[in-house]
Amino acid sequence: MTIASMRGVVKRYGSYVALDCIDFDIYEGEIIGLLGPNGAGKTTLIHALTGLTPVDHGTVSLFGQAKQPFSRQNKERLGLVTQDITIFDELTAKQNLLFFAGVYGLKGKEKQERVKEALDFVGLGDKGDKNPAKFSGGMKRRLNIACALTHRPKLLIMDEPTVGIDPQSRNHILEAVKKLRDNGTTILYTSHYMEEVQAIASRVIIMDQGQMIKEGTVEQLIETIQSEEKVRIDVTEPYLVPVNQLEAIAGVKQVAVAGNQISVISAAGSGNLDRILTIVKERTGVVGIQADKPNLEDVFFTLTGKQLRDRGERE
Amino acid sequence: MTIFRYTLIRSFGNKTNLLFLTLFPVICIFLPQGEPWPPLPYGYQYFGIVMLFVGIRLATLIIEDRVNGVVKRLAIAPISYLHYLSGHLLAYAVIMVLQCVIVVYGGVAIGRELAQPHLLLLLYVSYSFVALAIALAWVSIFRSKDTAFLVYMSLIFFMSILGGLIIPLEMFPDLLKRLAVLMPTYWLERGLDWLVYGERMADYWIVQGVLWLYTILFVTIGSFKKLY
Ligand SMILES: Nc1ncnc2c1ncn2[C@@H]1O[C@H](COP(=O)(O)OP(=O)(O)OP(=O)(O)O)[C@@H](O)[C@H]1O
Ligand SMILES: [Mg+2]
Repeated sequence: MTIASMRGVVKRYGSYVALDCIDFDIYEGEIIGLLGPNGAGKTTLIHALTGLTPVDHGTVSLFGQAKQPFSRQNKERLGLVTQDITIFDELTAKQNLLFFAGVYGLKGKEKQERVKEALDFVGLGDKGDKNPAKFSGGMKRRLNIACALTHRPKLLIMDEPTVGIDPQSRNHILEAVKKLRDNGTTILYTSHYMEEVQAIASRVIIMDQGQMIKEGTVEQLIETIQSEEKVRIDVTEPYLVPVNQLEAIAGVKQVAVAGNQISVISAAGSGNLDRILTIVKERTGVVGIQADKPNLEDVFFTLTGKQLRDRGERE
Repeated sequence: MTIFRYTLIRSFGNKTNLLFLTLFPVICIFLPQGEPWPPLPYGYQYFGIVMLFVGIRLATLIIEDRVNGVVKRLAIAPISYLHYLSGHLLAYAVIMVLQCVIVVYGGVAIGRELAQPHLLLLLYVSYSFVALAIALAWVSIFRSKDTAFLVYMSLIFFMSILGGLIIPLEMFPDLLKRLAVLMPTYWLERGLDWLVYGERMADYWIVQGVLWLYTILFVTIGSFKKLY
């Protein structure tokens, strides 16, 4: 079932086209990843989808309603983790959550429970009475996520929720996001971290300069750019490796020996790694293997000619 | 109710605010009586200026919401701008009324000569709503909290002088006297004057009426802006 969709959406800022004829669907129960370099228009797309920004052309529909996508009833089912940290510094973490829970009409015991649940969910269970002004960047980020959870949205939109969070907390959050999905929440997830999206998203949209340039499952996307797999094996005695025997394996295109390393290139999806290893191990000791499977990052690079994120920006 | 409640908590949570909200009104109670002007003790004159400050202090919370982006969350939540605004205004109004009560009945309790305290309270309350409404209209224009506050300080100074809260109006040239009528501060001054020297009740209600017109006017201006 389609939870949200855009058809021919155009958004201009002056003469600049921030969204150029965007078309996509979000299906119930999926985590859909939205990738794009800085300025691609991800946040603009999210703002258009949540009604924060009016669009110039096209239609946005939420929960099957295209006429009034931002009705009160639909808003109750929508959650947004903003790219900027949007919390009250002068209220405690718990008060922040109580505030947003209250805005969504939660009351009494249920409200208290949901707030506790959300705090635990992002690992701030013991920090509820502290002011976020004294939080680290990562803790603020986590509170920023929690603020969108108390009303248990059916569609949760996360705009770079893990920027500046240490790897450990990030894993915690990724697990949490998967748990949300397992509990029936549909999630649109934007991130600068490829690995994250590759790890949790079932489908990915790639954007650049306001346009959607590709859409599909992670596997599909990878397939479009690569028809080959490369394996590099470090061995103890390279002269003992039976090169012609390796070349005879179906799908193998090329075998090369350089120093102590042999590289074998074969057609994608041939699943040759096992066969190659067996043959090599019969003759010599293996000290290392690298299977260079192309990842989402390669897809992205091939499609946009850009790294998703400058190296220096990474952590 | 949530917005109202947390606006109250936030208003009291800020130390500078606490100063504006508690210390200044208390000081007002104790300032001396002037001879032959002003009609009531100085503090009851200056409280009109304090209320203008308090109004803008409180209302800058709305700018804060805009600056820290919380309005984004609110704009996609199932509440309207009217709901948001009324929650804020109600909280501010409660604080303002409380201050007025403290200043008037605190004065009565320590034996200040306040002519007609109940009518004075009513006058203050209406005027405090004007102060809030102007502040609201003001913050709807400004993006930055600091600029909004600084520029407003000059405006307060101007209104206080021209409205006759600091120097008696009689000392002004005719042109300024005529201009003064446009200032809400002038109407407060006129009300204070009436409490001591006034004769016809109708004159008091005219002052009240004008203050309420101001409130309605400025609230309307202030509520035009969208939440996000
Ligand atoms: N309010 C605005 N007025 C004018 N231009 C805008 C506005 N908001 C965004 N833009 C422009 O639209 C483009 C897309 O911006 P957007 O914030 O959607 O990118 P993004 O993909 O979210 O980038 P990032 O990864 O840095 O968050 C940018 O070039 C930006 O300068
Ligand atoms: Mg963005």
